[in-house]
Amino acid sequence: MPSLAELQDGFAAAVRRPEPDPPRGITGRGDAGAGRRFGVYRNNHLAGLAGALEMTFPVVRKLVGEEFFRAAAMDYVRRHPPRSPVLLLYGERFGDLLDELPAAGRYPYLGDVARLEWSRIFALNARDTAPAEIRLLSGIPEPELPGTRLILHPSVRTLASRWPVLAVWQDCQPGGGRAKIDMERPERLLVVRPDTEVVTHRLDGGSYAFIRSLARGAALGEAAEHAMAEEPGLDLSAQLVLLFNYGTVAGIAPAAVNKIPPDQKGTPS
Amino acid sequence: MSKRTSVVSGTMLAGAVALAVSSALAPLPASAGSKEKCFGIALAGKNGCGVGGGTTCAGTSTVDYQGNAWKVVPKGECVKYGVEEDNPEFELPGDRVGSLTALDRDLPES
Amino acid sequence: MTTGLPPNAGVCLKAEHYEQALAPERVPAWFEVHAENYMGDGGPAHLWLDRARARVPLSIHGVGLSIGSAAGPDPDHLERLCRVVRRFEPAAVSEHLAWSTHEGLFFNDLLPLPYDDETLGRVADHVDLVQNRLGRQILLENPSSYLRFDRDEYPEVEFLAEISRRSGCGLLLDVNNVHVSATNLGDSAEAYLDAFPLDRVGEIHLAGHAVETDTDGRPLLIDTHDREVCDAVWKLYEHTVLRTGPVPTLIEWDARIPEWSVLVRQAELADRCMDEAGTRPPHAVTG
Repeated sequence: MPSLAELQDGFAAAVRRPEPDPPRGITGRGDAGAGRRFGVYRNNHLAGLAGALEMTFPVVRKLVGEEFFRAAAMDYVRRHPPRSPVLLLYGERFGDLLDELPAAGRYPYLGDVARLEWSRIFALNARDTAPAEIRLLSGIPEPELPGTRLILHPSVRTLASRWPVLAVWQDCQPGGGRAKIDMERPERLLVVRPDTEVVTHRLDGGSYAFIRSLARGAALGEAAEHAMAEEPGLDLSAQLVLLFNYGTVAGIAPAAVNKIPPDQKGTPS
Repeated sequence: MSKRTSVVSGTMLAGAVALAVSSALAPLPASAGSKEKCFGIALAGKNGCGVGGGTTCAGTSTVDYQGNAWKVVPKGECVKYGVEEDNPEFELPGDRVGSLTALDRDLPES
Repeated sequence: MTTGLPPNAGVCLKAEHYEQALAPERVPAWFEVHAENYMGDGGPAHLWLDRARARVPLSIHGVGLSIGSAAGPDPDHLERLCRVVRRFEPAAVSEHLAWSTHEGLFFNDLLPLPYDDETLGRVADHVDLVQNRLGRQILLENPSSYLRFDRDEYPEVEFLAEISRRSGCGLLLDVNNVHVSATNLGDSAEAYLDAFPLDRVGEIHLAGHAVETDTDGRPLLIDTHDREVCDAVWKLYEHTVLRTGPVPTLIEWDARIPEWSVLVRQAELADRCMDEAGTRPPHAVTG
């Protein structure tokens, strides 16, 4: 008799097989087909996880309709089964799958809408921490400012799309559906949850470059340069106000040791 | 990257910080754009603020396995944004292939 | 056996109902939530659960620990469960007699176990491991079954009783699962309940199920938790509480979530059954 481990190997493989093919050694009721009974578990696995995706991507579902969504979701489950029993963030790559489907030829923004929805779920479930206030920067000596690194809020996500995905997302909310959307307008977005509400902001090119740089770990000076390269004449103080007002910053990263000039070591401040 | 000389000086940044601190309570600059608020988790399912995939200890009634997203055509609201009825030639801008700027996945963990 | 849950009807707390469920005038005697839905790093759900447990006792019901896996529960997941239990200090913690993770993949379903000596030894060991890690007793729930294994050596009731005896865990008796399994496998639900070690029961679950048709034309019940408790299950429940007296009883509803008032009415029905079954202290609601 196979061990429990071997039995579970066979059972698990059969649950994931595309064709119904129940493992041996199971019975239903009397002579009624074991295949039908085993199908319940296959279905629970596939449809249950597709249902979890439906909770994360309600706008994509509305955009493509139930039939298409379920087909795409089940396909995603087959290709990317979850690795954790915590499903809150399941579906991170659903947008990539939508990009590959033939439907993306006609509706190429679907993948980015999925990425926006997932980003909002990411922000919703991110670690709670109070955003920092801009006064935090006032105490930093002038020479140290360009090398100062900011810790972004754990909920921060950014998304650049060729399409107005936030406008589409908004139009798909209850009470929406009346907007005339110019589909030729790209959007740069910031998703953040400074307190209990997830907020999606539209950013201009300079702000987007600034936040992206900071997110990659660039210090303030370098991030400001990136932003100014993207948008010459950029108002730096306005960028800082925006950054902090949106709750994007959680704190200041401790200065790297090699950043401190030797003569200042041990100097009380 | 931290070694290179910055064209954004400490003085510039200090000036920007001082101005920013003094105007932090002022209205946001016009360039800030619009924002979409979501009124918390309490209205989950009603305003798009879902909770994310939930777990369940329940089973699911049998569904059709036959759906194939490579063959099925979307029949939802996307039709409205993707094509215009009076202009079947309507096409989205840009070269489809490789045109997406994918969501940034390289954000630091904290 | 008793947990810190009051012997009244409790209701599953879903995100859709946070506000209404915690409205001052009508808070149920206790709430149950799925552990995994509170394993995110943060977010409003945690705040809502803080509020809930400030009012009434909580039951944390795990759906992903996979106690029945031959390899045992994933240590990382057990650690996550531990964090949730430490943070929310529930009155009861429960899991399932099932497996749901295999070779690092999570199946999101409660997969069935063969009831033989090897499984018995492993499950009892795994329950022991979990209880030691959590530093408390857990309740183990009887599953909904759709099939049985040819190698089964024990009836489910005997199997559960023995796990409880060996590990010292309590049992969560899901009366709907008893009805679903008995119908699907051609057994008697009454006989199952008569044999069940009711002195080990710390909590009861009630839920609705879907009725489908099997290949032989007879009903095949699916444990969907998406509708009201059916009459047959209410009868089994009455039969049970007449013997046990009032037991903390949950109305489970996980899909097609109804209006809050529908859940409240189901809970009232359970409370009425318990009123007829015995005396109990009135439940106090704070806040």
